[in-house]
Amino acid sequence: MRDSLKMALTLLVIGAVCGGLLSVVNAITQPIIEKRSIEDLREAMGDFFPEMDAVEEREIDGEMYYEIFDAGGDFIGVVGEVTASGYGDEPIRYNLAVDSDGEVVGLRIDSHTETPGIGDIIEKEDFQSDIIGLSFDDPIALDQDVDTVSGATVTMRGMVSSIRRVVDTIGMEFLGLEVEVVEIDPADVDDGTYTGTGSGFADDVTVEVTVSGGEITDIVVVEHNDTQSYFEQAEAEMPGRIIEAQSLEVDTVTDATASSEGIIEAVNDALN
Amino acid sequence: MTTISQVFTKGIIAENPVFRLLLGLCPVLAVTMTAINGFGMGIAALFVLLCSNIVVSLIRGVVPPRVRIPAFILIIATFVTIVDLVLNAFAPGLHEALGIFIPLIVVNCMIMGRAEAFARKNTVGRSIVDALGMGIGFTLALTVLGIVREILGMGTAFGVDITGAAFEPMALFASPPGAFIALGILLLVFNLIIKRLGFE
Repeated sequence: MRDSLKMALTLLVIGAVCGGLLSVVNAITQPIIEKRSIEDLREAMGDFFPEMDAVEEREIDGEMYYEIFDAGGDFIGVVGEVTASGYGDEPIRYNLAVDSDGEVVGLRIDSHTETPGIGDIIEKEDFQSDIIGLSFDDPIALDQDVDTVSGATVTMRGMVSSIRRVVDTIGMEFLGLEVEVVEIDPADVDDGTYTGTGSGFADDVTVEVTVSGGEITDIVVVEHNDTQSYFEQAEAEMPGRIIEAQSLEVDTVTDATASSEGIIEAVNDALN
Repeated sequence: MTTISQVFTKGIIAENPVFRLLLGLCPVLAVTMTAINGFGMGIAALFVLLCSNIVVSLIRGVVPPRVRIPAFILIIATFVTIVDLVLNAFAPGLHEALGIFIPLIVVNCMIMGRAEAFARKNTVGRSIVDALGMGIGFTLALTVLGIVREILGMGTAFGVDITGAAFEPMALFASPPGAFIALGILLLVFNLIIKRLGFE
């Protein structure tokens, strides 16, 4: 009994001393770490938009977007602090800057766990210069306006589809641009079940659309790779809204914009 | 009783943790893509080893033998967390490059091994010398491996281009399989030298 007490007490004392020491070190380093990460981002934003004066934060679908204003208070662009899923275990974290005309003006890879010598191609000049200059109206797709690098397909696909999504989000949420949807009248579509894909938050969204008697009667999501907690909000609302309106011109679900857009795009694709 | 200078040199040569004992190989293989990463990892481990050896030696006789392992782990984990926080605050580039391998110093068997095999039975002074010897041996091994892999894999050493444009870097050596191959070759060379010099 006395032995166990002594053992417990020894560990308690060591634990308490260690814990106390750590809280001191943490108190000293935490402000420095936080300050640095904000400085890094500010520096990156300043590189993208040298005339930056004020910044306003906004969170969309769990990611941070920074609206940039110049000294005269004019809106000059948006920087997204966003992620892409590549080949590594961790998402690729990066910043994308889009100016007020919807053109990509800057790309900065923050951190990634892609394979050295293969997937880290995204940090290289060639890839960055491919991306910079693309705009909202461009396809921003592999083999169309971005070259695929053999061996790094997964990294490239994740990165490019993520950039497409971020440019879409910035375009729609900040610049008032709209994705052109070629409106399909369900009445023109033969009865049957059709499969289509669109790009959601992380990756492709696949849906099955059933058309019967010239009307969309059912929309089922077959596959998606988006964050479940966000996607399920879109999945719960969007099919109902589309079926009710018999049109793709429906409101998206706040907090799940990219997933909602993905479903709309996929239904559109299915009907085409 | 071994002399104090033997305590120091055995960690660097005869009982080099990487080349002779093959201890703590996970970070050895994982972070030595470049010389600077290898060196940084070595220094981080050296610091943790030094601190843990000092504390373990100080509390020897106070901690009941049956709870010594959890006590050691608590002590080592504390110093590792300190290194992690300090690097993150003051050397963010290195912190990012070493990544998960900093927290993993906790389970580096070299550090646990020195606490268990040496520090808990020796005075503080001898434990410090032991930690310095082992830590420097570990750092040297990681740095050498880092230099070899960086030259072969990227054509640079400590970020300085030394091979010139004519050399086509072998990406293999920048990746994990290359680490095994490079370490194998270094083990061969190091053990050959030791045999020739008669350290055995």
